[in-house]
Amino acid sequence: MLEKLREIIVNYVEADPEAIVPESRFVEDLGFTSFDFMSMLGEIEEAFDLEVEQREAAGLRTVGEAMEYLSRISD
Amino acid sequence: MVCNTIREILVQAQERFGGQDAIRYKTGKDCIESKTYTQLREDSEHFSGALKAMGMQGKHVAIVGMTSYHWLVAYFGTVNCSSVAVPLDVALPAEELCELIDRSDASVLVYDEIRADVAALAKQKCPKLQKVISMQKEEPDSEADAMQRLLEESACGFDAWANPEDLCTILFTSGTTGKSKGVMLTQRNLAENATCLDMRIPSRTVILSVLPIHHAYCLSMDILKGISLGSIICINDSIMRIAKNIKLFGPDMILMVPMMIESFAKKLEDAAALPPEIVKKEVFGERLHTICSGGAYLDPVWIALFEKYGITILQGYGMTECAPVISTNLDWNRKPNSVGKLMPNCLAKVVEEEIWVKGSSVMQGYYKMQKETAEALTEDGWLKTGDLGYVDEDGFLFLTGRKKNLIITKNGENVSPEEIENKLSRHRLAQEVLVREREGVIEAEIFPDLEYASKQGISDLEASLQELVDAYNQDAPLYKRVAKLTVREQEFEKTAARKIKRH
Repeated sequence: MLEKLREIIVNYVEADPEAIVPESRFVEDLGFTSFDFMSMLGEIEEAFDLEVEQREAAGLRTVGEAMEYLSRISD
Repeated sequence: MVCNTIREILVQAQERFGGQDAIRYKTGKDCIESKTYTQLREDSEHFSGALKAMGMQGKHVAIVGMTSYHWLVAYFGTVNCSSVAVPLDVALPAEELCELIDRSDASVLVYDEIRADVAALAKQKCPKLQKVISMQKEEPDSEADAMQRLLEESACGFDAWANPEDLCTILFTSGTTGKSKGVMLTQRNLAENATCLDMRIPSRTVILSVLPIHHAYCLSMDILKGISLGSIICINDSIMRIAKNIKLFGPDMILMVPMMIESFAKKLEDAAALPPEIVKKEVFGERLHTICSGGAYLDPVWIALFEKYGITILQGYGMTECAPVISTNLDWNRKPNSVGKLMPNCLAKVVEEEIWVKGSSVMQGYYKMQKETAEALTEDGWLKTGDLGYVDEDGFLFLTGRKKNLIITKNGENVSPEEIENKLSRHRLAQEVLVREREGVIEAEIFPDLEYASKQGISDLEASLQELVDAYNQDAPLYKRVAKLTVREQEFEKTAARKIKRH
């Protein structure tokens, strides 16, 4: 899952894919704007064929939290 | 034609476009439903009738929800029966929403079930609240009335006209003191702002509404202007899905804030090697031709880039206190570095570099905030915008900066640095805090209480302060989150009044 997320993340921010780790924070470390972050969630919905709940997803701070959230809703 | 009440806008549109679509929205993945102008008018009249039957006509009605058909029915139903709508930011924490519901003296709360937490808390925290209405519940229960049921029971409708000078909407905007201010707008303020300028937009234009509905720009330009033109207003169900919904609804026109435009610009730049017509179709669909930009200043470089793809960006300028549009560029009359020409109902003058405006869209004042109202409005009706700028020989307005501390983010949100400073300063470890915008993000610079840190055995000050910022961010809406922390080793320089020198 991390690999797929990396592919999506680099469409929004300039980051070395290898440097994107579960501890990476979207805003502080990767430089996401709030709009890019929400747009990325839309792309994640498509890529993983899931329905993301906006309010819950807006609270995700790190790549690891996003991975955990996606695993939970895909169960 | 210029309208001076909101009911006039809706009734005129219904008489011209009755059975045609007014609102389109998603009901599931790729499923679209629509409501006609006649349905919107009738449902909102039924809501007015329901308010009257409940004894709530003329009272304040807080509305908490994402843009939806039900939200619009509640809004039009409220303002069209001389009641006062208080649209609130659905993303705020429940405590903050309850404070605003209480401070706006709302007697009725209409809420979207995604914020059922607010309805529950408001029952405890807002003693003036008399009625709570759920937008989605099918049957009333002990918690709330059901909007659908109220509409059905009020089948007699409602037919009365508000006075143009009646207060009709209170919109909260961040203040420089840290406490948000309720901007009081009359029927005339909003109706004339939406209808006084002919932008030569054809009727039946398809508009995709992507901005938050509690924003004056969205409410006035997407909704009120859209309806006055007989447009088809498509509701974007989530900010996450704008790109997808552009393809689904095929809009001709979208109102955006600079942050969104910049995000789309990155996609265009990434695809610069491909033919523009293919990129345009892929990113914006076949029909999109105009983007109106407002909420914050847009770098003109993006206007030129979008032009290459056949998309015109019309940059405008306004503020909630002016219901909200003050000036706009037009397709046939624009200058790229300017925020356009003044609206026909607006006068402007420059006083010590600050832009002052006057006209039928200027607010009545801030709700129950006389001091702040007196600071913003002169006795003869000039509104001090707090923006610095000038008007050129052709009558185009140019902005050069802000007079106040207020941070205007790229998504058009006003953020009061003092509000964040006050919250962060509640922690003993943060002795002095300064919040500002730097390189497009919100930064907090903190001088720690070294004595406290020593007593508590805190050795890693940066980590502890970051925890404090993280805790604040956890509850804050995305646009108010602090993205960068700087730890100071020395106290801030102070003014004679012992306030931190900001600049």
